[in-house]
Amino acid sequence: MPIIVWQLAFFVGPVLFMVAMSFFLVKNYRMTEAFEFVNWAKMFSKGYFWSSYWHTVWIATISTLCAMCLAFPAAFALAFKASENTRRWAIFFLIIPFFTSYLVRTFSWFVILSESGVVNAILGTVGLGPYTMLNTHIGTLVGYMTLTLPLVVILQTVTMANIDRTLIEAARNLGCKPLAVIWRVILPLSKAGFIIAAVFCFILSFGDFVAPFYLGGSQEPTLPILILDTTKSGQQWPRAAVIAVVMMATLFTLAFTAIAIAYRKRSTS
Amino acid sequence: MTKNLVVFDKIHKSFGNFVAVEEMNFDIKEGEFIAIMGPSGCGKTTTLRMLAGLDAPSSGEILINDQVMNDVKPHERDTPLVWQSLALFPFLTARENVEFGLKMRGVEKAERKKRALNWLDKLGILEFQDRDISTLSGGQKQRVALARSLVMEPKMLLLDEPLSALDAHLVIRMQSVLTQLQKELGITFVYVTHSQSEAFAMADRVVIMSKGEIAQIGSPRDIYREPANQFVAEFVGRNNILSGTVESVEHNRAKLNTPSGDFFVEVKAGQLTERDSASFVISADLVHLSAGEPDSKNTVACQLISEEFVGSMVTLFLENASGHEFKVQMQERELSKLELDLAKPIWLSWSECSAHVLGC
Amino acid sequence: MKKDGLLNVVLGGYVVLVFLFIFAPIFFSIVFSFNSQRFPTIPLGEFSTEWYVKILDDPDILEAALNSLIVSFSTAILATLLGFCTAYSDFRYNFRFKGPYLALILLPPTIPLIIMALAMLAWFSKIGISGQLWSIVFAHSVLTAPFAMAIIRLRLNQMDPDLESAAWNLGGTEWATMRHVIFPFCKPAIISAMCLTAAVSFDEFAVSWFVSGLNKTIPVVILEIVQGNIDPQVNAIGTFVFLISITLVVLAQVFFIGRQHKKSSS
Repeated sequence: MPIIVWQLAFFVGPVLFMVAMSFFLVKNYRMTEAFEFVNWAKMFSKGYFWSSYWHTVWIATISTLCAMCLAFPAAFALAFKASENTRRWAIFFLIIPFFTSYLVRTFSWFVILSESGVVNAILGTVGLGPYTMLNTHIGTLVGYMTLTLPLVVILQTVTMANIDRTLIEAARNLGCKPLAVIWRVILPLSKAGFIIAAVFCFILSFGDFVAPFYLGGSQEPTLPILILDTTKSGQQWPRAAVIAVVMMATLFTLAFTAIAIAYRKRSTS
Repeated sequence: MTKNLVVFDKIHKSFGNFVAVEEMNFDIKEGEFIAIMGPSGCGKTTTLRMLAGLDAPSSGEILINDQVMNDVKPHERDTPLVWQSLALFPFLTARENVEFGLKMRGVEKAERKKRALNWLDKLGILEFQDRDISTLSGGQKQRVALARSLVMEPKMLLLDEPLSALDAHLVIRMQSVLTQLQKELGITFVYVTHSQSEAFAMADRVVIMSKGEIAQIGSPRDIYREPANQFVAEFVGRNNILSGTVESVEHNRAKLNTPSGDFFVEVKAGQLTERDSASFVISADLVHLSAGEPDSKNTVACQLISEEFVGSMVTLFLENASGHEFKVQMQERELSKLELDLAKPIWLSWSECSAHVLGC
Repeated sequence: MKKDGLLNVVLGGYVVLVFLFIFAPIFFSIVFSFNSQRFPTIPLGEFSTEWYVKILDDPDILEAALNSLIVSFSTAILATLLGFCTAYSDFRYNFRFKGPYLALILLPPTIPLIIMALAMLAWFSKIGISGQLWSIVFAHSVLTAPFAMAIIRLRLNQMDPDLESAAWNLGGTEWATMRHVIFPFCKPAIISAMCLTAAVSFDEFAVSWFVSGLNKTIPVVILEIVQGNIDPQVNAIGTFVFLISITLVVLAQVFFIGRQHKKSSS
């Protein structure tokens, strides 16, 4: 099968080589193939690596929570209040940003959020501000939302639209109050879809370097920014590889746990 | 003596652990209309697919025209199939669908069109030739599917429950279209169905299958009047089945003890001996009814449970003292002539020669 | 009933807000691309097309645009081919290592681009094909093939599985069946897949930036302009990029959804 060869050459190959590279040595600015734990030891002993790691995990978690919460009312409305046709159009429009330049959108936020930008200009007319939003966590989060919100809204909407309506009517019929319906019927039924949405959101935020770099000012560098710095400035590719491998390990652990939880079946009582 | 077109020789087919067809031996004659019938999962569709080369037998040989077909690829065979799902190509028009097979065979364009139009015309759907498949009605699609297979001018046409998606009144119409076509063309039709009425209405011979095995092969009349075994008797329906032990046999006449009473049946010499357990059937339409006890040996007193009308026919469901259910079928007109009081016990009776002893 | 009405209005308003948030950057990027001021702010300056004139005069940008077009076009063809083969083999065959096989094709989008970028850069320099347009195409084909696979697989799901057997039954060889049945049936999905993979490839910057070397594509140029200073040229380029991407996405949707009823009557 030529496809397998292709994927091995251009997907598995690079990833495995990167893992191998994390054990290479750098001598006189030249990389030599070896099998040493020097890079791992170096990186793990650096305080900035660990602070950056936890910072990235933390901000990606916040981003995931924000996206899930912000998306829910909209997805709820699209899934249960909107007509089939409206829903299809809404999803169509939500797909568009997914395929348009994230970079340009980020730059646009940069202009909108700046101290003399659109948001502050509007706030100024009612006598507020100006607020500093760039180079803060707010900036980073706005960037993350730009990246993740459309996808999360789509996934949540599709999940909830697929719920069997008679189950909800049955719950109402059995005396369940509207809010309790959301909590006791809709959320349990959409568990798998929501967990997948959250995992995607986390992966995207965790791996994005544009938002924290341009909108967050990278005062506290996230792991992707560290990779960028180590690769682009020094010739320290092996160290960048260490960071990348750590990131992948984190994401895989998270994804597998989440999927295991999402599709867990209660087999014994 | 007509020639055998198809011979199934010890055909066995299994999918993993599931045995679809077991030890199948039968043949299909040239020019006959044969129906393969059975409940779902009995292996009838698998049998048809093996004929078309879409499934390969696990063991045994299939011969078409005395030629072993096991290794012949589907596209090298001349066995067009009319699919249950019709399987019309949705991206082609009606005429392009009909032309498809000819195109695959490399028939030249003008000739292709001529032959396709000829068949569309024969089946009365010429006006729809340029329509998209999705815009046609069920009956029209059915005809396109038929035309698509028949345009290949095959010696044998395979049909897999082709009428199952149609409305009841269209089914009757298509049945007569099919039988007429078969007579006109003189080719072999192999027709798979789960519907007894379709099989009995059209076929010269019927193959009844059960759990991958052939339960009986015969003309519709044979199968109806002389079912070979309990499965066929039950599957054909509207039969009363009584089981018991043989008390005595004399002069081709056996006496059976059953929970519903003692009955006499006609037997062939040596068919039954004393203390055999045996079953016999009486078709529901061969049972007589009377208000008083009739002067007959084979009678049962029953209470009416329910009635079912289909057109002018009525089926009575009755039960005797030991709880055995009986079915009686007759014209509604005849029933009213009898002027029975349906609330009182009713006597059922039948003549010895209408009882048919089943094989095991 | 009245309470429900209010709730609906609030929810509706909220949906509008979410859409505003999502489309605000796109909207303002287009607005500011026609704004004469060097630093884009409100109130707007005069209407001007100077940024467009500027980018059309810049040979670097034009070259990058050409590169981008070549890359996304080649990627679309390669990725769709990969996606089609995978989708078809998943539809048609059952084999022992199907799970790992599908994972191999579907996994790339779940790995952050920056990691893929680093891995591709290292691997390509190792095997000596780094720094060329083709290296971007190879990388992008792997990254976008899953999208093509998903779209084509969905289309195959709608196909009556008997259709293929019907073609064999009517004398079609495997190849003829592929050409005359499977391919025409999947055609709308194949075209959408090509549009979408082209759009993704056209906008991808992380991997392109790492492996492109001197052959920059448009997103890489944007990335480099944005680094450090504010330049409304980006808005002008961005508007072009949006136009191309949106056209591709809309085309994809039209082909995927809209082709169901083409000739409704004779």
